[in-house]
Amino acid sequence: MALNITMADYGVGNLHSIRKALENCGAKVHVITDMKGLLDAECIVLPGVGAFDKTMERLQPFRADIVRKLNGGTPCLGVCIGMQILFDKSEEGEQPGLGYYGGNVVKLKADRVPHMGWNSVQSSDRLFRGISSPYFYFAHSFHGSPREDVTVGTTEYFGRIPTLFRKGNTYGTQFHPEKSSASGNIFLSNFVDFAEEQL
Amino acid sequence: MAAEYEKQGADEIVFLDISASVEGRKTMLQVVERTAESLFVPLTVGGGIRSKEDMRAALNAGADKVSVNTMAVQHPSVISECAKDFGSQCVVCAIDAKRTGESWKVYTHGGRRPTDLDAVKWAVRAQELGAGEILLTSMDADGMKDGYDIELTAAVAEAVTIPVIASGGCGKLEHIYEVLTRTKAEAALAASIFHYSELSVEQCKSYLRERGVKVR
Repeated sequence: MALNITMADYGVGNLHSIRKALENCGAKVHVITDMKGLLDAECIVLPGVGAFDKTMERLQPFRADIVRKLNGGTPCLGVCIGMQILFDKSEEGEQPGLGYYGGNVVKLKADRVPHMGWNSVQSSDRLFRGISSPYFYFAHSFHGSPREDVTVGTTEYFGRIPTLFRKGNTYGTQFHPEKSSASGNIFLSNFVDFAEEQL
Repeated sequence: MAAEYEKQGADEIVFLDISASVEGRKTMLQVVERTAESLFVPLTVGGGIRSKEDMRAALNAGADKVSVNTMAVQHPSVISECAKDFGSQCVVCAIDAKRTGESWKVYTHGGRRPTDLDAVKWAVRAQELGAGEILLTSMDADGMKDGYDIELTAAVAEAVTIPVIASGGCGKLEHIYEVLTRTKAEAALAASIFHYSELSVEQCKSYLRERGVKVR
């Protein structure tokens, strides 16, 4: 049986690449615009397009229910902004985040902002198994700054920033695996395997 | 072709319909859609973007970033609107610059129409408006295959804090090394040396890697 992934469409930006990449890993992807659908999901993907407030808008009514679901062990992957909304709040917006990861999203302190392009990720997490060249694509001006011990990968960019998070079965990436060619495809395939094991 | 470049190790793909504004043509959305389907590296689309709605359409078709040039000069506020809705990271401000005396002037319509704007000042303004990257083409160097315009690139990359992509003039690998080490440009764009299979992306990367430039 293929893994059923429910992917949130917040109404901004395209979801082609992430959808296609996950389908290539053998998953079945259901894109939903009514966020209520996340509550019945077998596996959740929060894609990485748009700004913080715009992204949280549709999710706001279901905040508590989504967190309850993640606490219950539903596997989840948040990419970029989809990861950032898992935190309590962000310097980018006014709306509260989902508050699953304890901590805030802060403005990147670097000579060049946004951080655009390829950079390497240091991680020994299981999702990095089989990745020979840990270069991933980044495009962001903010990053997660957790208050709790959830960082499982970091990247050097004018200092060390946390770029991969895990708490329970919920992963969050600052990078875009769906834009990271072969390495990204291995990462997503590892996530799909991980999610299947949790069912 | 885009998928072939990805296989060779290209970090990004940029599609520019350079005569779109002149001929009043909109972006070739179908080509974007077909390309995006099989591409897993970032795709930038530019040429003929006239409004926020055009930008939305390009993003929905599968572009990750949209490059604006003529429209940005004519309606600078659209940069802010797009940055606010879609995020700065997907707004690339393309600047075509040509030397005039001691400075550089901005040209629009695929380099056909001169403006009064100073290229360095315009780059700073674009950053203030919310652009996430500058794609800087030297019209003096473009097509000459004699190297990037180091002076122009250095001046712009020094003035802004967003990433600058140098473009125009690449004829050999040394040129890429030169612009990445002598200026604060984050990236270099090259077209013809790859299109006509003179060199592969992989050859280019190993050349840079051997010389200590950090590449994927």
